[in-house]
Amino acid sequence: MSTVTASDRARLSAWRVYVRDLWERREFAWFLAMGNLKARNASTALGLFWWILNPLMLAGVYYIVFGFIFSGTREGEPAFLAWLISGIFAFTYTSTAMTSGANSILANSKLLVNIRFPRMILPVAALVEAGVGFLASLGIFYVIAWPVNGIRPGLSLVWLPLAVTLHTLFNLGLAAATARLAVPFRDINNIIPHLNRLWMYLTPIIWPMAFIEAKAQWAQNVIQANPLFPYMALYRKALMGRELDPLNIWLAIFWAVVALGVGVISFVRFEGNMVRHL
Amino acid sequence: MSDHAILVKDVGVRFRPYLDRNPTFRRSIGKREPRVAEEVIALADVSFEIEKGEAYGIIGHNGAGKSTLLRVLARTMRPNTGTVEVHGRTSTLLQLGVGFNNELSGRRNIYLGGLAHGLRLAEVEDRFDDIVEYAGLEHAIDRPLKTYSTGMFARLAFSVSMHLDPNILLLDEVLAVGDESFREKSLHSMRELLARAGTIVFVSHSLSTVEEFCDRALWLDRGQVRLVGAPSEVIDAYRAAVSSAE
Repeated sequence: MSTVTASDRARLSAWRVYVRDLWERREFAWFLAMGNLKARNASTALGLFWWILNPLMLAGVYYIVFGFIFSGTREGEPAFLAWLISGIFAFTYTSTAMTSGANSILANSKLLVNIRFPRMILPVAALVEAGVGFLASLGIFYVIAWPVNGIRPGLSLVWLPLAVTLHTLFNLGLAAATARLAVPFRDINNIIPHLNRLWMYLTPIIWPMAFIEAKAQWAQNVIQANPLFPYMALYRKALMGRELDPLNIWLAIFWAVVALGVGVISFVRFEGNMVRHL
Repeated sequence: MSDHAILVKDVGVRFRPYLDRNPTFRRSIGKREPRVAEEVIALADVSFEIEKGEAYGIIGHNGAGKSTLLRVLARTMRPNTGTVEVHGRTSTLLQLGVGFNNELSGRRNIYLGGLAHGLRLAEVEDRFDDIVEYAGLEHAIDRPLKTYSTGMFARLAFSVSMHLDPNILLLDEVLAVGDESFREKSLHSMRELLARAGTIVFVSHSLSTVEEFCDRALWLDRGQVRLVGAPSEVIDAYRAAVSSAE
């Protein structure tokens, strides 16, 4: 029989215990994520396909707008569609992590009130859900990029695990941060979509690098300071065999550590007070 | 090793509804219109202990702090003051169907509910057939939960809770679920738990169930312990107070 004492304060300071508790609950996180994945589109005809179709349709819209209508921005990028799709898929992973992270605590208030468990399970499950959708969408990248742009899977794919891992850690930090903020400040849910849209336009997704290289040095510096920039560079290296400035690897590690540190620490420190806000 | 299952000492819980609940940016940042929060004291200086193997009833008016107390015992809410010690594997049944997802099948929800309450996947698999049989839902287990009747839903939720193998069960007003035969069945299961030296903490408005079922009762009045003792004694005092108030 286990003896548990209820000093939350002591438990919160014990990070090793926290991580162990979290690890022991990994099956729950997985079932929660898969359950939500399944439930989300349970009553639609296409069901799980929406996880791939949604970013694909978004890419289609931007392809029409920036590939044909405002086609000036695409100049200098021979494989624009592949560039666009890889960018949109990766960005969707981050934006989904933020929105479902922000929802993860509020949508599961019944769980929080009734059961004691390390609350990080909930943003983790939200991230797993987003990550599975992202990996599924990656699977169809070459289905489009090969026939349209002649981009085939190559040796550079060895970079993909690194790109996905660092990007996932970064997204987990964001999911934890938005989850923590959304509990006392529901307003966050209204702000996130707009922030995300702005962020997307500031990231090399709908415009290629040539577009920004023509701009002033300060503008280039600002774009480089965008935390998503190094992840995009990693994905373009892995999926399209583009050149990779080694600086971007360090930047990707740096932003992952910062996001994870700030997000998870602020989340866990707030944990004990969450139920009061529900 | 003490014989206490639960030891509650000087527990106080306060809420500040205006500041703590749904503060908007404007309210939390804005300097004008400073809202003086009226503090609500949900629990004040609550101390009591529950022995192992005991069935412990908690009664009181609406808003007396019963649910808050159960949340503190379940340790999902950290008290502002005092300490709570819990010895044993706790299972909570404060609400029905915690962790369930209406879109998914009963089968899937047994896994979700079991895992949510802290079981391992292998443990859920071992108990799966028993859970289904106990709930009497063999025919409907692969149907989505949203097609279940209220009674079926409650039976499934209760069955999952009864198979968590707890030493301490925290219950809130849920015995009134299902039909008469299921009610008998759940009372029987709870007696079995008690016979295994398990502990049950039971919050209810049904005074007769408390009297029939519990070894001791606690009367909670506006966040404070009014009386602890034999159920009949506590219930008589409670009834007397209620009728004199009317």
